[in-house]
Order: sequence, then structure tokens, then C-alpha cells
Amino acid sequence: MALLDFQRNYYQLFDLPQEFLLDQAQLGARYRQLQMELHPDRYASASAHEQRLAVQYSALVNAAYTALRKPLDRAVYLLELAGMGAEEISGQQVDGGFLIAQMELREKLESMISMVDPQTALDHLITEIGEDVIKLQGVFSVAYSAGEFPKAAAACVKMQYLDKLLLEAEILETSLLDG
Amino acid sequence: MALLQIAEPGQSPLPHQVKRAVGIDLGTTNSLVATVRGGRAVVLPDAQGAVMLPSVIHYGAADAPIVGASALALAALHPADTLMSVKRFMGRGRNDAEEDARRSHYSLAEGEEGMVSFLTSGGKISPVEASAEILRVLSQRAVDTIGGEIDGAVITVPAYFDEAQRQATKDAATLAGLPVLRLMNEPTAAAVAYGLDADGQGVIAVYDLGGGTFDISILRLHKGVFEVLATGGDTALGGDDLDAVLADWLLQESGFETLEAGEYRQLQASARLAKEKLSEAVTVDVDLSEVLPGGAVISVSREKLEQMIQPLVKRTLLACRRCLRDAQLEEGVDNIVMVGGSTRVPLVRAAVADFFGRTPLLGIDPDQVVAVGAAVQADILVGNRPEGDLLLLDVIPLSLGIETMGELVEKIVPRNTTIPVSRAQEFTTYKDGQTALAVHIVQGEREMVSDCRSLAHFELRGIPPMVAGAARIQVTFQVDADGLLGVSAREEITGAEASVMVKPSFGLNDEEITGMLQASFSHAEDDKRVRQLAEQRLSAWQLLDGLKSALEKDGDALLVAHEREALAGQMTELQSLIDGEDTHAIRQKTEQLGRESETFASRRMDKSIREALAGVSLDSLDDEVMQ
Repeated sequence: MALLDFQRNYYQLFDLPQEFLLDQAQLGARYRQLQMELHPDRYASASAHEQRLAVQYSALVNAAYTALRKPLDRAVYLLELAGMGAEEISGQQVDGGFLIAQMELREKLESMISMVDPQTALDHLITEIGEDVIKLQGVFSVAYSAGEFPKAAAACVKMQYLDKLLLEAEILETSLLDG
Repeated sequence: MALLQIAEPGQSPLPHQVKRAVGIDLGTTNSLVATVRGGRAVVLPDAQGAVMLPSVIHYGAADAPIVGASALALAALHPADTLMSVKRFMGRGRNDAEEDARRSHYSLAEGEEGMVSFLTSGGKISPVEASAEILRVLSQRAVDTIGGEIDGAVITVPAYFDEAQRQATKDAATLAGLPVLRLMNEPTAAAVAYGLDADGQGVIAVYDLGGGTFDISILRLHKGVFEVLATGGDTALGGDDLDAVLADWLLQESGFETLEAGEYRQLQASARLAKEKLSEAVTVDVDLSEVLPGGAVISVSREKLEQMIQPLVKRTLLACRRCLRDAQLEEGVDNIVMVGGSTRVPLVRAAVADFFGRTPLLGIDPDQVVAVGAAVQADILVGNRPEGDLLLLDVIPLSLGIETMGELVEKIVPRNTTIPVSRAQEFTTYKDGQTALAVHIVQGEREMVSDCRSLAHFELRGIPPMVAGAARIQVTFQVDADGLLGVSAREEITGAEASVMVKPSFGLNDEEITGMLQASFSHAEDDKRVRQLAEQRLSAWQLLDGLKSALEKDGDALLVAHEREALAGQMTELQSLIDGEDTHAIRQKTEQLGRESETFASRRMDKSIREALAGVSLDSLDDEVMQ
């Protein structure tokens, strides 16, 4: 019964306040503490039933940690807790200005390969995207705390766009380095 | 775990006794066994004092297989009967093994679907059987040294081993009669070997250039918990490849066109020796007349060697960079652990030091460090350290997914996910009236099914006819702490279910293993029955002992009176069955009691969660925040 509660809410599992901004060190410490108790290695000479349970519990703790560790995953999880499914989140209206800026960034990224010094240009772009992500996290946090879920979801969608772009930038960087 | 319950007939386990645990490094070139004695992990030598057992098995026509140095001595004379580097063939399909086999001058058995086997004078031998021979020798060595049967073993595998390769390794241990506690990733084992000595914390990079594989892992050690952040590598690059480029160059210099299989083996051995000498010397002379009649003496400088191996070293550094990126570190790497004999090559050390900006740790012999770490983990898992001062959180090296429409892969568990893990994904039917769904499980990073490793197929039947897209099929992947996968599928509306424990098509199935076990033991039928009864009694004892101590500790707090009475009644019944001889009845009662005590076990785990969190005092949290 207690288990069901934990499954419904990962914040409860780690005994942390249900907020977007969270203390990473605290999250990490509680994660490690729980795994110290529940990991299958702790039950290596226990009965088969207990071993199976340990695998399930330990997997649950891993899933909880994964959901809360990174800001974007955490934002999606908080919206889920607020009753929004993945489809509802991605269906949020995003303002035209953001989309145009996205297209410009993408074009910039695609033209980089033919530049004289693509590495430096890429570094700048990655820094620029990183700064935008921080701003959006601020917007999400304020909107979520105020219970304005559609607004928070819109910020979350924008974060997803930037996350994808960042991934593409990193792929480009790898291919530049591998030469 | 059934494998743990092997005891001689009539012998019951003594509680609180120090258990005999070993760590085994089953290497491409050499294998080792280590154990913890008096708090220290030591590698165990054979009767002649040699610690490393060459991973070479000779299958002659008449005798039992020969393993180790004496087999190695036969390699040049009988190349096709002397199997070396079999680890490269573990869990691999015929098609992708052919190139390697040609290079090693092995004959692969014809007309085999799936798994590889070699044609030798001693018959058709699979890599699993050959590996089991190595494990048997090491296991016997441990039994002789420690003085008694082994209670549990940890066997190491390259972090980059896929599902099929892991399963094949576990099959080899089963075949050798070794009770496996855990498969452990080699780089993690190396980090553990150092971690305990250093009692440190911070980020550790493990650079592992083994005989046949290259692995790189990034870990974080924090208050006794090793968390693997990312792992990567190259399964087709190792120290053998350094030898091979040198051997090819020597061949080219000597002017010989082609070589006999045996001559090539000798040439490779000469190249390896030259490489090893060049770690100290600046030049060495290789006398090819020892290998090839009329061959000249060729001088090799360290510079020349470095020039030849540079591209290979660069390939390892590219893998390091990808791994660092995957680890998403905010801080730098604090320590570098070197594993594998080839990391003695000065160019390799310098390149690694330069890449990470740190001098690598060299305190433990790079050939022994993996076995030492495995022994430490085995000692913990077997229960010799009740305080449990160390915990490993490892990851899966390659993404797991299933095939969807258009031969595309839908990833369900991405690589570098911490294990154990359980992930579910919902799918639906694509045709009206579709009543069955074929699930094809693959492993790899690419998008097309044909570019990934196929692991298993299974079918979910009994879906009621519905319009396309109406069925809701939940596919769940569960990866345990060994990195082994179980997959189940369930149709949500009807509850139709299907599941497989992934047994890759290239491994051995249970029947084959049982068959081989029966062939290798000559137990009479009676003997087997006695054994089964003893094993079943042991497993009943284990459950009863565990429950008794759990009830003493938490029975009052977590169970209401009638629950406690029900459990006690069942326990008495099982207790009385143990004294009888009915194996079947003991098994049934043990399973029943196991099921019925699950609620209690799960309440105890919930209690652990609460206690664990209460145990994190504000002070210690502040501590961590400060860091």
C-alpha cells in the first residue's frame, strides 16, 4: 500500500517537496541511500522471492531518479502529476516568435559545416541555447508554482525543442571532432 | 537463486560461516582467479606459482582437453585444434564470426544455424564449452587453495558485451558447475579494486585495453556507492590488434607472401614479445628464423611501433570522448585506472594521461586488477561483509528495443540506463482483426532493425479481433542486476500475456546445457534424486531461516496477529516436510510459503525506504551540499 503511494509520486519516494527547483545534492544522497537498502546486491543470498522484490523496488528507485534528475524530464513528470498527458503537453500552442527563432538557429547549425572555424561557431551556438534553456526553466518554475499548467506546458514544449537542437549540435560536434 | 543451492547430499549449510567466494577474470588472452583472505583480495597461483592462466584450450583426438600454458605450447603445431581468444566468439553468430575465424585459422562447423562452433580433432566445440574448460581449471585451482567447494563466484565481462555475449558467459559458468553470484563489468571491477584501497571519492575513468576488446567507463564514487555514469568502447579492438599490426609489418619486411596457420601464430607470439620488450627497450631485434625457415633478423624501434599503433590508440581515445559526453560530467575526472597488459605500452599511457590531463593510477598490476575487484564484490555478495560497505550501480551498455512497422527500431531502454530497470511501452495492432502480435527484440544504437543485434522473437496470441489500433499492448522490459533481459507483453483489454527470458539464438538453450551437464557428470539416477532432495531442502531452509529472523525483527510491527499465525502455521508445515523425503512436496510448500510471505517482504522493504530516508540526517545532507 505504501508502495502504491511511492509509485504514484516519486517526490514522496525521495521525501522531497514537489517543486520544479530541487536540490540535486539532496536528491542524489537520497537516491544512493535507498539503493543501499534495496539493491538486489543486498539480497544476493536471500530467497528467490525477496530477490525478485528487490529487483522491482530497485528498478522503481532508478525510474524515480531518472524522472527527477534532469530538468526537462522533471518538468514533464510534474505536468503528468498535474494530470497532463504527453499528447496534451505537445499540443500546447507555442508563439510564432519562438518558432521563427528556432528555424533561424537550425539554419545557422546547418550552414556551420561550411564555415572556416565551425568549432568556435558551434561553441557559441551551444552556449546560446544553454542560456535560453535556463530562462525557460525559470518561466516553467514560476508558472508551475502558480498552478498555471498550460503556461508551464508551453515552456516545457519549448524546452523540448531546444533539447532536440542541442542534441543535433552535439552530433555535429562529434562528427567535426572525429574528422 | 537455484545455482546457489548446490550442496553435497545430506550436507546442510551452516549459518554465519565465512563463505568461500571467488572473483574470476575470464580474459581473451589470460584468465585469473582471486579471493579475499584476511580482508585483502589476492590472486591465486597454480601449483607452479603462475597466476595467469593462458586462455588457450587444446582439443586433441584422444585425451581430455588441455588448458593453459601446455595448450599454448601446442598452438603452433596444431593451430586448428588449439583454441585461443575464444572470448571473441562468445555469443556471436556464424556470419559475424567468420572474419575473425579466418584470421585465427579456425575451421567453423558447417551448416550451423546461429551459434558458432569450431571443428577440432576433439569434436565440434562451441566457445561456451571452451570457456567452461577454462572456468573448470580456475575453479579447481580455487578449491585446492581455499580448501573447499566454492559458494559463489563473480565473473567479469567487458562492459560492452551485449545480451548474447553475457548469456553465453553465464552458460559457460553453468556448464563448469560454478555458482554465479553476478556477472560484473570489467571496468567496474577495476574501479572497485582501487576504490577500497583509496577509500576516496570523485570521478574515476577506467581505461581497459584487454586482449580482444577495449572498454571505457566513467564512474562516480560517493560514500561507498559506485555509480557508473557511462560506458563505451570497441568490441573489435584490443591488445591482439596491436600485436597483429606489428606481425603484419614484420611479415611485409621479411618478404614472405603467405604463412601456414601455425607459422602465423608463432609470428604473432614474436610480435607480442617484441611489443612487451619495447615498453622498456628503445629497439629490439626479432629473429624471424625461429618462425620462418630462412627468415632474417628484423630490428624494430619503439618509434616505429608507436607509429604503427598510433591509429589504434586514437580510436580508443575517440571512444573515451564519446563516453565522457554520455557521462554529462560537470566536473573533471579525478582518477584514471588502467587495465590490461597493453596499457604498459608507454605510448598508450602517455596518450591517456594527455587526454584526461591526469597521470593514471598504477598501484595494482593492470593484469590482475579486474580479478581483484571481482573477488571483493564476490565477498560482499556472498554475505561475508554484513555491513555491506560498498554498492555498485551499473548500467546497460547498449540500447534495447523492439521492431516496429517498416523494420524500424523503437528503443525502450536507452544505453547507459542504470540497472535494474523496468520499462514499459504501449503498442497497438495495425490491421483490422489482428489476433496475434510478433515481438522482435533487438539491441543496438542504429535505427534500422538490420543494423542491430537480433536477440529474440516471441508471439503474443489471443488478442480478440478488433479494429486496427484498438488493442492496447503493453510491452515491458526488465533488466536485472546481471544485465540480463526479460521481456513480457500484455494486452490490456483481454489480459492475454506472453513473456520470454531472453535466451539469444546464439547461446545454448537449457536443454543443451542440461544435456552437456549430464554428459560431463556420470550421476546415476538415484544419485540425482538424492541431490535434488538435498537442493530442495536447502532452499526450504534458506526461506525458513530468512523468515525466522525477519519475523523476530519486524513481525510484531508489520503483521497483525492472524497474518503472523498464518505464516507460522505454514512454516511449521514446511519444517515437518523437510524431515521427509518428498522432494515434490517440499518444493510446492516452499513456493507457497514464498508467495504468501511476499506481502510481509514488501512491507519490510517499504520500512527500509522510510528508515533509509530517516537515516539521512540533516547534518550529512548539509555535508554533501557543501561538497
